[in-house]
Amino acid sequence: MLISNDIRVSLGKVPVLHGISAAARAGEVTVIVGPNGSGKTTLLRALTGDVAFQGRVCLNGQDCARLRPWELAALRGVLPQASALAFPFTVAEVVRLGLTVATHANRAELVVRALGAVDMEGFARRLYQELSGGQQARVQLARVLVQVWEPVVAGVPRWLFLDEPVASLDIAHQLAVVRLMRDFARRGGGVVTVLHDLNLTAMAADRVWLMDQGRLTGQGAMAEVLTDAALELAYGCPLRVGRLPALGGWFALPQAAGVA
Amino acid sequence: MVALDASSLMGDRGAQARVTMLALMAALLLTGLLSLSHGASGVSLWSLIEALTSGQAMPDRDRLILWEIRLPRMLTGVLVGASLAVAGAVMQGLFRNPLADPGLVGVGAGAGLGAVVAIVLGGLAPLWLTQAVGYHLVPLAAFLGGWASTLVLYRVATRSGRTSVATMLLAGIALGALAGAATGVLVYIADDRQLRDLTFWGLGSLGGASWPKLLAAGPVMALALVAAPFLARGLNGLALGEAAAHHIGLPIQRVKAVAILTVAAATGAAVAVAGGIGFIGIVVPHLLRLATGPDHRFLLLNAGLAGATLLLLADLIARSIIAPAELPIGIVTATLGAPVFLWILLRRRGLVDL
Amino acid sequence: MNRARFVSVGGVHAGLTAMLLLLALATAARADDGPRRVIAAGGSAAEIVFALGQGDRLIARDTTSSFPQAVLDLPDVGYVRRLSPENLIAMEPDLILAEHDAGPPETIEILTRAGVPMVILPEARTPADVLAKIGLTAQALGLPEAGAQLLARTQSDLDAAAQAAASLPARPRVMFVLSLQGGRILAAGSDTSAAAMIALAGGVNAVEGFIGYKPLTDEAAIAAAPDVILAMDRGGDMAVEADELLAHPALALTPAAQRAQVVRMDGLYLLGFGPRTGAAALELNTALRAVIPAGRG
Repeated sequence: MLISNDIRVSLGKVPVLHGISAAARAGEVTVIVGPNGSGKTTLLRALTGDVAFQGRVCLNGQDCARLRPWELAALRGVLPQASALAFPFTVAEVVRLGLTVATHANRAELVVRALGAVDMEGFARRLYQELSGGQQARVQLARVLVQVWEPVVAGVPRWLFLDEPVASLDIAHQLAVVRLMRDFARRGGGVVTVLHDLNLTAMAADRVWLMDQGRLTGQGAMAEVLTDAALELAYGCPLRVGRLPALGGWFALPQAAGVA
Repeated sequence: MVALDASSLMGDRGAQARVTMLALMAALLLTGLLSLSHGASGVSLWSLIEALTSGQAMPDRDRLILWEIRLPRMLTGVLVGASLAVAGAVMQGLFRNPLADPGLVGVGAGAGLGAVVAIVLGGLAPLWLTQAVGYHLVPLAAFLGGWASTLVLYRVATRSGRTSVATMLLAGIALGALAGAATGVLVYIADDRQLRDLTFWGLGSLGGASWPKLLAAGPVMALALVAAPFLARGLNGLALGEAAAHHIGLPIQRVKAVAILTVAAATGAAVAVAGGIGFIGIVVPHLLRLATGPDHRFLLLNAGLAGATLLLLADLIARSIIAPAELPIGIVTATLGAPVFLWILLRRRGLVDL
Repeated sequence: MNRARFVSVGGVHAGLTAMLLLLALATAARADDGPRRVIAAGGSAAEIVFALGQGDRLIARDTTSSFPQAVLDLPDVGYVRRLSPENLIAMEPDLILAEHDAGPPETIEILTRAGVPMVILPEARTPADVLAKIGLTAQALGLPEAGAQLLARTQSDLDAAAQAAASLPARPRVMFVLSLQGGRILAAGSDTSAAAMIALAGGVNAVEGFIGYKPLTDEAAIAAAPDVILAMDRGGDMAVEADELLAHPALALTPAAQRAQVVRMDGLYLLGFGPRTGAAALELNTALRAVIPAGRG
């Protein structure tokens, strides 16, 4: 269980988050959605302790502020929105950094499997800096995956915090990441992620937090939160949410007024 | 078996780095022996070995040359070269920039200011002080200057337990300018002879190596060299950025603090005994990164070995090229280092930035 | 090279032993003749050895030794304050004749412990110091007679200079400019060899109020109002051109520049405080005498 208790963040004197209280469950994918500037990423960064905030974040019943870095790292992996890397490390070396505090017997094999999971298995010896943006993003994801490879350890669920993990990926790899998140949750882990794409959100999410102007305007099961009315209010444009009869999958389609 | 296969398959350059390490160890051993056996006086290591094996006592003069001149000089060279290279590697890891240099955090500027103060104003020092430290006043002042400026910077850049590396860099530039100005004032009032001393000090030399100096500064450098490898994991993580390093479980605040203290100790002591010796700290880690990758678990050790070897070689050149006079070693390292540095810059143009 | 040395170790060792023996015998045989392999560290040291007619005993010199011409042919052991112990020992000197500022201290310490005979000449600022330097050197070289002769000659030169100084009708104000880099006047204050030389020649150091060579502000230079500007023409590091001195905005306002009274002399000759000091003082005295207007004194 992830509990966010009255989180407030100000940048300078400007409040950006006005007291967010919400919960996410292990075994579920929780997606934070909302228009640009609504505070999605700030909220995720507060949850992972990357911005100064007031309030409290509890992970599996423990106050995150009281945990040591290595205790936190054993509990959760965090993928930031953008990752820069200094020095020419190879792909394998970057992924292995995710195992810094792990006590895994077979690290090398784990690295190979994580690279396979993000469809990068042939790239282990390549220099990270020579890859395309999308490939780099996948390598970073593999680094985070390898850190919490087993979703549940000794009955305790582990967590993935992913900030726009599909931002620079092509459609096939976007879907692959959605599958990864769903698989991690299915095996008992918790996933909290920021997504822009409402269709991917509808596909990935068990639970949705809808943000608007620094406030949580809706949280709950995906189908309950992603309604036509709620989305139109948040995004300021008409949207139709539904299920494709033929495939059974969810969609969110913008109703573009004035575009022929 | 599986692990081994997998690791060679997956671009782990550890094996390569280990081979390099062995090669560097051999190179250092060889250079060390060469440094002991080579010198103007014609006393060779072989005569020492012969004297030891044959049980005969060496001539006093020869023993003095080996034991009082070459050995402390060789050991000082090893420690200073290793310290400069390792301090450079640590600093570059900390600042995530391959061109960072201990000079950036003000160690260099502070140590330089300390030395200049001692050279120019040393005559004004109270008698008890000059009596207590004797002619070690300049090294001592350099060491204190380096440490003082590092501690000031560290305090400036640390707020509520968090050290901002960027703030430290900027403050380091400011403090460097201030120390430069103070040095300038002292240079301005310095007389001809003091100016010459300053020039020679700034160019560095192992010429003044002696047991008392080595015993004073050696343990500080050795301590820093022993501490540095423990920073390897932390510096590797920092390559991802501070936030990501924290998220993979590293106590980055501690890593940063230890890294800064290590650099201050290594550089301060090295500069104190040997003066300003440039380029080792930048060139050695960079070449090793090109050869075996940036993994600090190997980089720090290899940099120490390579730095020591290079400085011994530079010293061999410095003391024999214009014999019976001696060239300041900084001239040798700069003459060798600057072209390499330019070559690095030329190569960089084509590569991804940082 | 090491391999070769390794192979020939036995031979070298035996040779060395034999040589040492021979050397010891030779030294014993000619004990009265004194050391034959002398290294001079400091300009006046080499100069005195040559003045004693013993230039052939020198095997090396430092960078500051530049007189007489012949000394320049000797191997250079580097800057007098940065001597390398092993390189010096390797030359197998039986005497190192050093000026007071030879160093670094570590080198001096090791040379002493290596048993290399070393004579450190005192810092010289007065005629008595010059004589002491010569006396020490002659003694170290085992040359009582040549020493006495040189002492007498030097003494008479110095006496002549002293007489000339005393007979000067007035005491011109002299400013010694060590260098003029970037328009910065580096002048000699009190307690410098330049000030001592000015006094020997019968002048007054125009720059007072500080010790050693220090930069002078333009106003202080004008206020010093020297009648003569003294500079080095060569030797030392910095030769200062007369034109440069006269064109300097502050110096141009001094009486010296207005009457174009610039005296330039060789650095070692002027400030070395060696055997030529009497002659140098006399030469400077002559220059000063020319400055004094006929009506004065």
